[in-house]
Amino acid sequence: MEITFDRYSLMVDGKRVFIKSGSFHYFRTPGVEMARDRFLKMKAGGYNTVDIYFNWNYHSKKQGEYDFSGIKDVRKVLEEAKKAGLYVIARPGPFINAEVNAGGLPFWLLKMEDVVPRNRIGTTYKYSSKYMEYVKEWYDQIIPIIRDFDNVILFQIENEYATDTMEEDYMRELYKMARERGIKCPIFHNDAYFAGLWADCVDIYALDLYPYINPNQNWKQDNFCFDTLDNVEDVFRCAKEESPPFIAEMQSGWFDKWDGSGYKHIREALGDEHINIMTKTAISQGVTLFNHYLAVGGTNWDDLACDEVYTSYEFTAPIDEFGVPQSNFYKAKELNYFLDSFDLTMTEPKELDFYQENIYAKLRHDLINDCDWLFIRNMNQDTTGVNVLEKSIQLKPCDMKICPINLELKGCDIEFSDAEIFAQLNNSKEEAIFFISDKDAKICLSDGTIISADQKDYENFTFEREGKTTQIIFLTKHLADRSWFLGDRIIFNADYVLPNGAIAVDKNTEVAYFDLQYKFGKRNCIVTEFNKPQTLEQLEIANVEFCSPEIDLGYDYSAWKKISGKTDAFSCDMYDEFIWYKAQIPDNLTEITLSARHLFAVYINGKEIINRNSYKLEKLQEVPETLSVPLNKEILNRDKNELTILVQNLGFDKGFSGDTNNPRGLVIFETTPQVPIEFYVCEKLALERGYKKESDNPYLAKITVNFDTEIKDDVFFAKYISFEDFRCRRATIYLNGVKIGRYIKRRHVQDKFYLINEFLKPHNRLDIVVWEKDRNVKSAWGFKSDLKDVKILLGTFKICQLFK
Amino acid sequence: MVVVPEFLIRRIYQKGSLKKLENGASVVLKNVLGPGLISGFNYVKINDVVFESKDVKFITNGKEVTGTEVSEENPVVFRLGQSGTLIMSGQECIVEGNNKIVIEALNPEAGIVQLTAEDNV
Repeated sequence: MEITFDRYSLMVDGKRVFIKSGSFHYFRTPGVEMARDRFLKMKAGGYNTVDIYFNWNYHSKKQGEYDFSGIKDVRKVLEEAKKAGLYVIARPGPFINAEVNAGGLPFWLLKMEDVVPRNRIGTTYKYSSKYMEYVKEWYDQIIPIIRDFDNVILFQIENEYATDTMEEDYMRELYKMARERGIKCPIFHNDAYFAGLWADCVDIYALDLYPYINPNQNWKQDNFCFDTLDNVEDVFRCAKEESPPFIAEMQSGWFDKWDGSGYKHIREALGDEHINIMTKTAISQGVTLFNHYLAVGGTNWDDLACDEVYTSYEFTAPIDEFGVPQSNFYKAKELNYFLDSFDLTMTEPKELDFYQENIYAKLRHDLINDCDWLFIRNMNQDTTGVNVLEKSIQLKPCDMKICPINLELKGCDIEFSDAEIFAQLNNSKEEAIFFISDKDAKICLSDGTIISADQKDYENFTFEREGKTTQIIFLTKHLADRSWFLGDRIIFNADYVLPNGAIAVDKNTEVAYFDLQYKFGKRNCIVTEFNKPQTLEQLEIANVEFCSPEIDLGYDYSAWKKISGKTDAFSCDMYDEFIWYKAQIPDNLTEITLSARHLFAVYINGKEIINRNSYKLEKLQEVPETLSVPLNKEILNRDKNELTILVQNLGFDKGFSGDTNNPRGLVIFETTPQVPIEFYVCEKLALERGYKKESDNPYLAKITVNFDTEIKDDVFFAKYISFEDFRCRRATIYLNGVKIGRYIKRRHVQDKFYLINEFLKPHNRLDIVVWEKDRNVKSAWGFKSDLKDVKILLGTFKICQLFK
Repeated sequence: MVVVPEFLIRRIYQKGSLKKLENGASVVLKNVLGPGLISGFNYVKINDVVFESKDVKFITNGKEVTGTEVSEENPVVFRLGQSGTLIMSGQECIVEGNNKIVIEALNPEAGIVQLTAEDNV
């Protein structure tokens, strides 16, 4: 494939292509089957491209060692994208952010001497040849894989990069490295500051746009958040006149944080109006390459997350974490189908003399279809009448439309329509254009005919001219959401449809078809297996046992790593979520002072002294906490006392506004009086290390449940466990030995955890490790008894049967 | 670490806008970066003279607010392309020739944003 471009669009083998992309994180949606499912849904929703970050840290746990096997096999992911008919935008960093641990930089790199990650300290540029050597090592691994796929159409270097002085060496070197390793497609960078940054170092200038990043903001009222988007064509033209306007990350959702407002709130706040406005406004600004970030939500299983985010990385994406299309997916689908139906890859802005408060209007001339498109948006709080180009349009609050003007069709010409086009089927003699019904809209034909868009499903009007036919067919919004455009036909009334025509429904459904040859047809899909509504099933607790032998007095830790001096994660070379510290301390200590990231507990002689959540993030910066814990003879009741500290690291900083090198683990440990302490350290919980014997102490307890899952080729399902009535404060969840979630009680706590399909088996074991505070533990027996009554509920988000 | 590089923040300052006032000074800011909110003014420093939030006024879009009135709950909308005048009062601060200016403000998303500029009077 030869990829070229001009000021309008990208061209694949000389043919203009409107790039409708969505981001997908293979590391958060693990396994080939899940990738296939999400790619096919993206394709069915009209996306033609998938944007993929390649996460260096995910593949490299030690310098020089790379794992691209099993679920980390990115070649298979790329093969699935190709099979689904998607182009790929490859973004291998080296830094990716994406709210992943350390922004995707490997832990080993961060502790290397003479390495300055990303060649900057703060925003001050500092070139590090050592860092560049390791970047070469990564590029040497990842680029040969990417290079093998001719559907890779764009390649990104770095990610949202800037320094105070903007030296170009780093970016130019990355560009050169990519080219030297065989990248042939255009190279770009995503400027987060929409300031034309790095435009001269790349082939295509691109930027990221997130108008809604504060969930407390009401974007529907504070509509100034679109100021940049509304003028973005000027930014592109000033930055790089001859490259096509490309929004490398265009907001389609937003991430939630610990102490955030919850995904439910964000999804409701954004609605489907936001993605509608974002995408249509972008097109109105001449954008012909966009990438919805994200198109597919994911899960921060294992230790994927940076400290800022919790397990769910649902992102309020069009396809949610569980693989279920949401209302913003239907809106994106509507737009993608429209762009499949009419080629808008060559348009020019056209003067429009118009002003009305809170109304955005933009007119573009379409050089391919030789018509105009009016883009009109209402940011008033009420339905508003707009008079523009001698037409009267009613717009609902926060609604935006693309209206054709003087659009020549086969059997008629549209002079103007404020009813929106959903999709078009076309052959040399006839066409069917599907419009979305709208009680306030109409289609005005050039012969004076006016068709009201206030129509029922399938209402249609036929026009003929010189042996050619145009059929106008209406769909209500409800049916449009359930309609699927497959190029040569449309399938109606399905939950979703895969590009191969497989139909997914969650209940008995009469599905309809339309194509130009056979017109309408029907088919009944009878779902036999799950007609009953899905209810939560309480899982029977199979076993409860204590699982922290490390805290037990006399636990043999002689094989652990001995540390003298600094005890943070980098110094210990331990990057797991859990790090254990053991030491002998004398009985004359009056106090210990410590700082740990992020949660920790101190045990002396097998008894808990303090258990603390030290996680605090303010104004995008972490707020370290240092605590002093008084000791006395009652606590230090032996000559040599056994100190155990368990630290839970919620992840390294993602490196956007903070520093990926911010320490984790036990960062400060001092004693009063000062004595040197020799620590022994070990990472992971005992069950992850394969330790099976039950411990004497009750501080960490493991609840085990077993459940079965029926896995069938023709059934899509997404299951979860619910902690809705969970009484414990913290838990780590393992599905068949894989860590799939972290539960920490907060204001808007995540209480549903996706049972990631990749890790599900017919017979499943769920281990939930609870880490409780001492004061809640009456007695070991009582605690165990309490845990046996904990409610663990198994639920199903969605289940669909597929009909071929 | 700041989110926005210094050279970009500096673009907000309107070069040549520094004016000497009776017992104070004023400067003009123009938002050329992107739509946003100002959720606080920590201080303004001109040469060695520090003006606390209470001694700073911001006039934009026909409204005047004192620095202490601006907070996360009561932010100032500062749209793309919008200008505003920052007035510092209570102390003499301007010297003839080159003046060093530091403005430290808050943004709900970016946190502390520090603008440093130099201007002649």
